[in-house]
Amino acid sequence: MKKECVAMLLAGGQGSRLYALTSHVAKPAVPFGGKYRIIDFPLSNCVNSGIDTVGVLTQYRPLELNSYIGSGQPWDLDRADGGVHILPPYMREGDQGTWYKGTANAIYQNIGFLDMYNPEYVVILSGDHIYKMDYSLMVDHHKKVSAACTISVLEVTMEEAKRFGIMNVDADDIIFEFEEKPPQPKSNLASMGIYVFTWSKLREYLIADEADPTSSNDFGKNIIPNMLAAGEKMAAYRFQGYWKDVGTIDSLWDANMDMLAPRSSIDLYDPSWPIYARTPVTPPHVTGPDSKVSHCLVTGGCAVYGTVENSILFHSVTVEEGARVRYSILMPGATVKAGAVVEYSIIAENAVIEQNARVGTPPDGTDPDWGVAVVAGGVTVGEQAIVTAHAMVRDNVKGGDRV
Amino acid sequence: MNDLHGIIFAYHSYRNLGELTRHRNTCSLPYGGRYRLIDFMLSSLVNAGVSDIGLIVHENYQSLLDHVGSGKDWDLSRKHGGLRILPPFSTAERSQREYRGNMDALVGVSSYLRNIRQEYVVLAWGHLAVNLPMADVLRYHLSTHSDITIVGTANRWGIPSECQYLQTDETGRVTDIAINPSTAPEGLESLEICILSKSLLLELVEDCAAHDVHSFSRGALLPRLNQLKVTTYRYDGYVGRFHSVKDYFRCSMDLLQDEVRADLFHDGAPVRTKDRNDPSTYYGPDSKCHNSLIADGCVIEGQVENSILFRGVVVEAGAKVSNCVLMQGTVVGKDACVSYAIADKNVRIGDHRILSGQESFPIAIPKNTAV
Repeated sequence: MKKECVAMLLAGGQGSRLYALTSHVAKPAVPFGGKYRIIDFPLSNCVNSGIDTVGVLTQYRPLELNSYIGSGQPWDLDRADGGVHILPPYMREGDQGTWYKGTANAIYQNIGFLDMYNPEYVVILSGDHIYKMDYSLMVDHHKKVSAACTISVLEVTMEEAKRFGIMNVDADDIIFEFEEKPPQPKSNLASMGIYVFTWSKLREYLIADEADPTSSNDFGKNIIPNMLAAGEKMAAYRFQGYWKDVGTIDSLWDANMDMLAPRSSIDLYDPSWPIYARTPVTPPHVTGPDSKVSHCLVTGGCAVYGTVENSILFHSVTVEEGARVRYSILMPGATVKAGAVVEYSIIAENAVIEQNARVGTPPDGTDPDWGVAVVAGGVTVGEQAIVTAHAMVRDNVKGGDRV
Repeated sequence: MNDLHGIIFAYHSYRNLGELTRHRNTCSLPYGGRYRLIDFMLSSLVNAGVSDIGLIVHENYQSLLDHVGSGKDWDLSRKHGGLRILPPFSTAERSQREYRGNMDALVGVSSYLRNIRQEYVVLAWGHLAVNLPMADVLRYHLSTHSDITIVGTANRWGIPSECQYLQTDETGRVTDIAINPSTAPEGLESLEICILSKSLLLELVEDCAAHDVHSFSRGALLPRLNQLKVTTYRYDGYVGRFHSVKDYFRCSMDLLQDEVRADLFHDGAPVRTKDRNDPSTYYGPDSKCHNSLIADGCVIEGQVENSILFRGVVVEAGAKVSNCVLMQGTVVGKDACVSYAIADKNVRIGDHRILSGQESFPIAIPKNTAV
């Protein structure tokens, strides 16, 4: 059935700068904010914006993401008409099919899916940002200015602008030039990687781009510059509010810590714009007789008997008596045993920190190599072992060892 | 285990629960931070592989309906079978009066019982907090070739005048049932959960309907203990029984014991409930919390100890909550101080208020009130 607007969520990326955290899952499936995975933010934004048809393009390690999304029921996307669709690359007659070569190629390979709904507009989203946004307002803007493409932009500082794709616009916020990571930025409007296209236009450019053997089939590198060069009307849509890329260990840690300041980042408790998630069945969390809990997010199934400060605890985390957790992110099922100390760290799913081990250290401002320590999923850090700042632990650490 | 069908009696209210059951029956009483009592029996059945469950309701069941919905959260929203709500069926000869006993209720839904697909039926009340290994009970029932198996416990959980007690011989066969005695006799306290075959159930229901017998234990079981082989399955894990406000408070506080939680919430047998999509609980920079059970979606900026907080409770800065049960959506205002209280849903306790009950007499604050 025809839909006015369909969203395509690019969720195939590996997220290689998250290292051990994405060795088994795609970046959009990385846990975030106590109860969520990164993909819950764009998915919930879709539903809250009234978009009921979403294609999720997967490629890298899709297993966990597929089972997480399932029928789409937690997001109310299990619809008889529309709903959420997982779209992996597939084999075809003749050309045998290929992996998704780039972001534009991923959409190109799913022209058939989009044609099924024959939408007026397509919203292109990525699965690596934390933000709340009403896409319907952006589509309204796109219609109002009769653009072929509308790009959501964020005002950044001129210094930060050097790291982004920058849109140079006229007085009406119509884009006349696009520069990728300019050393001397002319404007501070950074692309957020969120696009609205008029589907009939995008369809033409995707087909032309695919026919060009020199193209890298990427929206930022090819489709957007090609449309600009051809004189299409490209509008910038200014977004205001919290928006964070969580593509690196430091930014993932930062963004999680931002959730501890709900008034200045994203208010997860606002009933008018809920973020939905698939959550396992767990009892309420319990705090023990001698526990101390302050400035934290704590989720169902946790058992806190020790001290936890300034940290994010996902579901089913255990912190035993005498253990101390500070400024850390403990992903589902992680265990910190008695007497262990975890500071400035990310402990991934089901990892175990044995008794009296120490993971991470606070920044002292003198060590240029200081960073957040990461313990990968399922890893055990043995008794009295020491994991230093900025370590990336992928294998078990023997008791007493230092890494 | 598709051989077992569940029938849950979900129409009863204990009068001594007062305010707590004014807007709901005992089965939909909130318990344990995020559950309703009915969740425990539903989950015990679902975890044993039971796919078809009939819920017998009568009055005051709006909140129960709202809670169970289509049965989706228990995986009971099915094309065939699944969860069926069985309200009273009023005909010319059966007016819509209160059920006089659970046999009366079974007679009321006899047409549903005749259409049961499974060979065995478990009859249970929906107002116990228990995580029962129901698959085990059926296995026991089959291995002992019993006509009826009743679940009993050697512990004493309930008030004798509200309970039944099973006397057994050395083989475990039930020889007598003491119903609502003034003091608890020897023997096992009955959980009034029993398994029998569909055919025997229909036989009993027909016979009881013909003789206007309305109690299952007194009218159907007691006179037949000689003809039928009635045995007991012993379950000595935790059982919460809720006859009064005081019981409710005590059973809630029981949850702060590790052993009780281990009995009710264990791996492989999750207690399922209605999903509310709450975020994690947020603890503010100056919060303190110990010895408490806290559901998701709370915002705690004050101090909490020895308490049970349901989903979405707010404890504002400077507030102190101790020895309380605060149901969904309760707000404790700035610098307020509350102890030994049960706040029903959406209660608002104003800034600087001091409210204090006693362990033997906790204050129950009715739903939606502002203090």
